[in-house]
Amino acid sequence: MATGEGMISMVDWTKIRSDFPALERTINGRPVVYLDSACMALKPRQVIDAMNEYYEQYPACGGRSIHRFGEEASDAYSAARVKFAKFLNAARKEECIWTRNATESLNIVASSVKLPKGSKIITTSLEHHSGSLPFVERAKRSGLSIEIVMAQPDGTFDIEDWKKAIDKNTSLVSVVHSSNVTGTVAPMKEIVEIAHDCGALVMSDDAQYAPHHPLDVQELDVDFSAISVHKMCGPTGMGVLYGKLDLLESMNMCFYGGDTVSDVRFENGKILPEYLPPPEKFEAGLQNYAGAIGAGAAAEYLQNIGMHEIEKHERSLLKVVLKRLSEMEHVHILGTDDINIKTGLVTFNVDTVSSAHDVATFLNDEFNVMVRSGWHCVGPFHYQMGIDPKKGTARASFYLYNNRSDADAFLSGVETLIEASK
Amino acid sequence: MWVVPPRLAMMDLSKNAQCVLKILENNESLTTTEILEIASTDDYANLCTDCAGGDAFVAAANQLVEKGLITKKFGKGGYRWQLVKE
Repeated sequence: MATGEGMISMVDWTKIRSDFPALERTINGRPVVYLDSACMALKPRQVIDAMNEYYEQYPACGGRSIHRFGEEASDAYSAARVKFAKFLNAARKEECIWTRNATESLNIVASSVKLPKGSKIITTSLEHHSGSLPFVERAKRSGLSIEIVMAQPDGTFDIEDWKKAIDKNTSLVSVVHSSNVTGTVAPMKEIVEIAHDCGALVMSDDAQYAPHHPLDVQELDVDFSAISVHKMCGPTGMGVLYGKLDLLESMNMCFYGGDTVSDVRFENGKILPEYLPPPEKFEAGLQNYAGAIGAGAAAEYLQNIGMHEIEKHERSLLKVVLKRLSEMEHVHILGTDDINIKTGLVTFNVDTVSSAHDVATFLNDEFNVMVRSGWHCVGPFHYQMGIDPKKGTARASFYLYNNRSDADAFLSGVETLIEASK
Repeated sequence: MWVVPPRLAMMDLSKNAQCVLKILENNESLTTTEILEIASTDDYANLCTDCAGGDAFVAAANQLVEKGLITKKFGKGGYRWQLVKE
């Protein structure tokens, strides 16, 4: 099958599309065009089935119940972590902590990693609020300074800015690997090298990167990575924190309780806990077993297709969309047009309507095209670019289940909107 | 004068939806941006808590359209929103 790059893909994308039941729906007699995957990805049957199997066949507590259901739940839960570790190419499965989402993963690191007093945290103007605010607050609490590296207007970074900002006093860098607004991919490997040369840790926000590109945490040598499973065809309320094992071991715990302890002795009237190593020390209480099993199924599903293939497929659609949109009078695209450093999304405004919300509402009402509008939880970059966050920007995001018809429906919708609002 | 339907007390609506209704009660017909601008003024500070990014607010407005309490019409410049008066 031909791709936008003139390469031949071995993936049957039509068959892939049929894995997603939500795309079988019609609304007002027309198919749906789902272009909001940067917020929430659709779920394939394989993921839904894996979770249903847990609920229908062995809905028990993993790790401790010695009956048959418990044993099966434990096996599936453990296998899911192995699948996810493989997806990230983590050195050990214990380096993958189940969380509720990338936001929680980022908060765990921000609240628990040991940083020297008086040191500096660096983040950027392009961060999702979940990537910046936990560290802004940590800096306030711990008396640390915080420095912001400004993104360029096209969402890229000037590597010289990183060289200037990161110094021997820098203890941690929190950076978004792929922006949920501009789609630009940060030069993570170079940033990691600069940071490590100065002894600083790197927290990579991979919420947008992991679902759309091959992610190899060992090759990039990041210290932490935050992932939202719901953006990668997995269940809601599931995330992953990757951390190098020695760092996870050295970190403080956030939550205490059941499942985090190897022993809790009672001596001389005192309760004396002994805590387990990672991952258990970060996973207090009964876990979201179905969610973890679904996360493992999602990781396996994407890997079986191939992350390089998915990246290529999205970029082939993006190329068409960027070209057509950039030719449209009244459309203003935010972010680079270089698809080689871009995730499959385009953020834009149309100057014939008063806000991006009108774009999203019109496309939904008239074309069943579902895009996102707003500030995308990235207020600072909107302010930096002089865009009123209330008016926001519109974002169309593509994933493995989208096809050329989706792209054409979207483009046709934008053209119609412009004509109707001039 | 707009009358709250008996089975739909204001308290049943989200704060954003209440804010949209209140704004449209005091204005004839507004664009999306005009509603968001008014929502962020001090007069509506107690009602509007979630209008910074606009999306949740406009989603609430669209739900009010579904409930038949307000209308929206697309034309030059975008949507105009208006209260349904009984």
